[in-house]
Amino acid sequence: MNATNANFLTRHDFLIRRLHSLTGLVPVGCYMVVHLLVNSSLMNGPGAFQTNVNQIHSLGRALPLVEWLFIFLPLIFHAVIGVWIIRSGKTNTDQYRYLNNWRYTLQRWTGVVAIIFIFFHVFHLHGWFHGEWWLENVARPWGMANFKPYNAASTLATALQGFLWPIFYFVGIVCCVFHLANGIWTMGITWGVWTSDRAQKGASIVCCIGGIGLLIVGLSALSAAITTDVQQARNVEDAMYKLRVDTGEIVDNPEKRYHAPESLGDSTEEASPDEDVSE
Amino acid sequence: MSSPTHAEPVVHARPHKINVRILRQDGPGQPSYWERHQVDYEENMNIISVLQRIASQAMTVEGKKVTPVAWDCGCLEEVCGACTMVINGRVRQSCSALVDRLLKEHATEIELRPMSKFPVIRDLMVDRKRMFETLKRVEAWVPVDGYDDMGPGPKLSRAQQEENYPLSECMTCGCCVEACPQYTKIEVHRRPGETDDQYDQRKRETYAQGFVGAAAISQAVLFNSHPTGANIANERMAVLTGTGGVQDCGNAQNCVAVCPKKIPLTRSIARAGRAATLYALKRIFDH
Ligand code: HEM
Ligand code: SF4
Ligand code: SF4
Ligand code: FES
Repeated sequence: MNATNANFLTRHDFLIRRLHSLTGLVPVGCYMVVHLLVNSSLMNGPGAFQTNVNQIHSLGRALPLVEWLFIFLPLIFHAVIGVWIIRSGKTNTDQYRYLNNWRYTLQRWTGVVAIIFIFFHVFHLHGWFHGEWWLENVARPWGMANFKPYNAASTLATALQGFLWPIFYFVGIVCCVFHLANGIWTMGITWGVWTSDRAQKGASIVCCIGGIGLLIVGLSALSAAITTDVQQARNVEDAMYKLRVDTGEIVDNPEKRYHAPESLGDSTEEASPDEDVSE
Repeated sequence: MSSPTHAEPVVHARPHKINVRILRQDGPGQPSYWERHQVDYEENMNIISVLQRIASQAMTVEGKKVTPVAWDCGCLEEVCGACTMVINGRVRQSCSALVDRLLKEHATEIELRPMSKFPVIRDLMVDRKRMFETLKRVEAWVPVDGYDDMGPGPKLSRAQQEENYPLSECMTCGCCVEACPQYTKIEVHRRPGETDDQYDQRKRETYAQGFVGAAAISQAVLFNSHPTGANIANERMAVLTGTGGVQDCGNAQNCVAVCPKKIPLTRSIARAGRAATLYALKRIFDH
């Protein structure tokens, strides 16, 4: 970092740290809670999950804008400033082994894991950019951008096959949930919501319980995704696709659908909207 | 297997000698080095009395003649803070660190290091100037200038007094900032040809870029909750929300865990955080 950057950051230290704190909760933290809740709807089957995903994708052309403005940019801001904050301190849990000092250190470690996790998670399923060139030449050759919104559960389940990805997601979810739950606790001190020792202890317990709850939600979403039957899910999704396009609830967009690899030449999954899938 | 047959517990048989490992440094900016010393055990020793013996021996355990180890002290009753150092890895006052208790923690040796967040003057003596400068910056006093009789001061409620008293016990010892992961060492080396004033000035400016630390935050909160002290509350808040202000705290809460005066520092930090929130909003809307 050159001197001018460092100066800009230190001169606006207060504003930047408070924005960092705020973006951690709104929108990033709030988004994460909604995201895990939506994902956990997969426990009720691929149809329920598909309905939620359709809801999100009914934003259509506005979706990339919403994604970048309310999710990616605030997250990138929080992450970049987060790394700057991490570098400004020096952890000392080896010398002072207090619980809260461990939480301080873990807040930093889980932040770093979150960057790595979120970077690959978005690449793995979403692909980061929708441009055809990017998808064809970078994302797909590397086995990324696997999620097809109109075949939500089946493409998700396919992407999570094997044992490395599920472990990666498990670690990622645990770290992000700890980071958010502990972050809300520190945030309450930062902004002066809980000040007394008793209030801070109480808030700590509430954040802990909330964190465990969110962890259960997140991990049940993960286990539902891993145990989904791909073929069965695809049939449900294709039937729903036809219905929803017919009623105009979603826009016909083949890009957001699953296409069987051409070499197999089996076209049942590529049912065109004119074909009657349901009967 | 021959286990001890006596019922006699492994009593800490009074050692005859105490081994002390000291991290020494000959002067500012010099390299540091470890040295081993040994003194005769006496009852009720504290680290100051151990250091007195070590200085008078001026000889390492290997029998090498050395310069006496330098340290600082004042009150000898844990109220001045001058004797603060890192003992067995934990920062505390050497006058109230009792040898018997330290040997119970770690039987074979006592380890002494100077505080790591301040420039070392010599051996175990450090320069806490940054803390005192920060107290000046946050104006940790009640501003009553002039010689004229201003009449009796405003009354403080009993509850307010009880809240303020613990904060007033701070002795600027430095334990809180030594243990703080967000408070990092700033050492300004003298440039050739620099006058005392220039050097002091440069130190002040450089220190002002760093985190103010828990002690100064707590003092600002103390004087902001005093009816007369609150006259300059906004000046204090300007410092607490400026570079290195309360926002640099990362809530590790080590400060409160190591403060020898048990000052509720994290409470002060949260109160300063709340005041900073309100102060920043006021600045936006009252412009
Ligand atoms: C899943 C995404 C993330 C969420 C939901 C999130 C949420 C939060 C929240 C609510 C806080 C509390 C703010 C405060 O104490 O005032 C926080 C703090 C923090 N976050 Fe994140 N964060 C996320 C990702 C990241 C990433 C990628 C990094 C980068 C390493 C990071 C680094 C930090 C750091 C260092 C803090 C402590 C700030 C301090 O104590 O001053 N976070 N985060
Ligand atoms: S707050 Fe406590 S630890 Fe910090 S300087 Fe004051 S007395 Fe020492
Ligand atoms: S609570 Fe803040 S001031 Fe206290 S040790 Fe932690 S980071 Fe430092
Ligand atoms: S000598 Fe004053 S606190 Fe130890």
